[in-house]
Amino acid sequence: MINVEHLCKSYGGLNVLKDVSEHIEKGEKVAVIGPSGSGKSTFLRCLNLLETPTDGTITFDGVDITHCKGKELDKVRQKMGMVFQHFNLFPHLTIRKNITLAPVKLKLMSKEQADKQAEVLLDRVGLLDKADAYPAMLSGGQKQRIAIARALAMNPEVMLFDEPTSALDPEMVGEVLDIMKQLADDGMTMVVVTHEMGFAREVASRVLFIADGQILEQNTPKEFFENPKNPRLQEFLSKVI
Amino acid sequence: MDFFEKMAEDFKQNFIEDDRWQYLLEGLGTTMLITVFALLLGLVLGFLAAIVRSTHDKVCTKEGGHFFLRFGNVIAKVYLTIIRGTPTTIQLLIIYFVIFGSVNINKVLCAVLAFGINSGAYIAEIIRSGIMSIDDGQTEAGRSLGLSFPRTMTLIILPQALKNVLPALGNEFIVLLKETSISGYVSLMDVTRAGYVIQGQTYSPFMPLIAVALIYLIIVIGLSKLLTLFERRLAKNDKR
Repeated sequence: MINVEHLCKSYGGLNVLKDVSEHIEKGEKVAVIGPSGSGKSTFLRCLNLLETPTDGTITFDGVDITHCKGKELDKVRQKMGMVFQHFNLFPHLTIRKNITLAPVKLKLMSKEQADKQAEVLLDRVGLLDKADAYPAMLSGGQKQRIAIARALAMNPEVMLFDEPTSALDPEMVGEVLDIMKQLADDGMTMVVVTHEMGFAREVASRVLFIADGQILEQNTPKEFFENPKNPRLQEFLSKVI
Repeated sequence: MDFFEKMAEDFKQNFIEDDRWQYLLEGLGTTMLITVFALLLGLVLGFLAAIVRSTHDKVCTKEGGHFFLRFGNVIAKVYLTIIRGTPTTIQLLIIYFVIFGSVNINKVLCAVLAFGINSGAYIAEIIRSGIMSIDDGQTEAGRSLGLSFPRTMTLIILPQALKNVLPALGNEFIVLLKETSISGYVSLMDVTRAGYVIQGQTYSPFMPLIAVALIYLIIVIGLSKLLTLFERRLAKNDKR
């Protein structure tokens, strides 16, 4: 579904990603872990071209999207939902409007259809009663659940999560991970940059370890955590678990 | 009660005799006319310049960027430099005597142009500061949903930016209103000049000048009230 070949990204003289190649199949749940500043988030943000790759190609559904611009790029992004570390809800809009804004303005749905869908989504993330609240009234966990609902409102083919629980109080991490688990069970293709090893172990179908701008190891969660081969990964796991 | 009698006499002489109050009324009309249309022109110019400048700063990197955007950015910068770098009075005089010197142009239109172009430069920087105050995550969230850059700007960034700069914009409106008091330089009968004319006829400065000051004060107080009301309405999403 997403094919990454020889992806490089540098800022000035700093090489953040060095020749990364990766193939993500439909229905896969890929967890990406690694130390801070290793390039995990940059890798994820290159997938929907929030960062422009310096070199390499990204193919989505068989189409090379690396050099997409304007309307084409917007079309591609409509099929890739993204959830951010800091939620990035639109503070001037109600929760309902946050969810319906994009589908309605992009004329994918009528206002009535979008409102109906928003209710289904809000019910799914357990926040139906907050439809007319503003983001500032919600807790971090609730905001992130809304952010997930907002991304789902576009009916994306793949969901990208950029450290979705890193900015949350510990007691709120669970509620967000639960939603993500549901989503995984429903068969959504997911790429999740995370520090939640438990989530990577339970939910992911594959785990990538990125350090120093390269994928140093990838495996099924079982093998990855029980039998790490790369010394850098062994060191990392000994510190975090 | 000699004092009050004298004041009453003074008042009568300055405003009632020969219907001199009509000068003030006419002046007030001209002042408001200039202010309102200059404000509209200023907002249009300010928005344009702010959007060009901030889009340029966001989109154009060192090596690339759209030609028109770069060109627009240069124009906007020159505009800001010239307008903010010279006194409003001189700008008004240049527009009236130099640019439209050889054609017979409506003086009010001239003043609207001068004050609008002047105000636009300040409004541009106010709005740009608002746009820059919005977290990049908002743009990213909008773009990741598949909204185009212009749509993200108008639906997500600008509404928040405007709310943040409303106090500064209100300030600029007040400054603009009071700045029109130099319209007399091109012999326009605004409210300040009206006071001056009355003073010239009655040789008594106290009443006309105080009246003019009060008129400005009352308009500004009204405007502030209006802005506070507006701010409060926009603040409804800050509730926690």
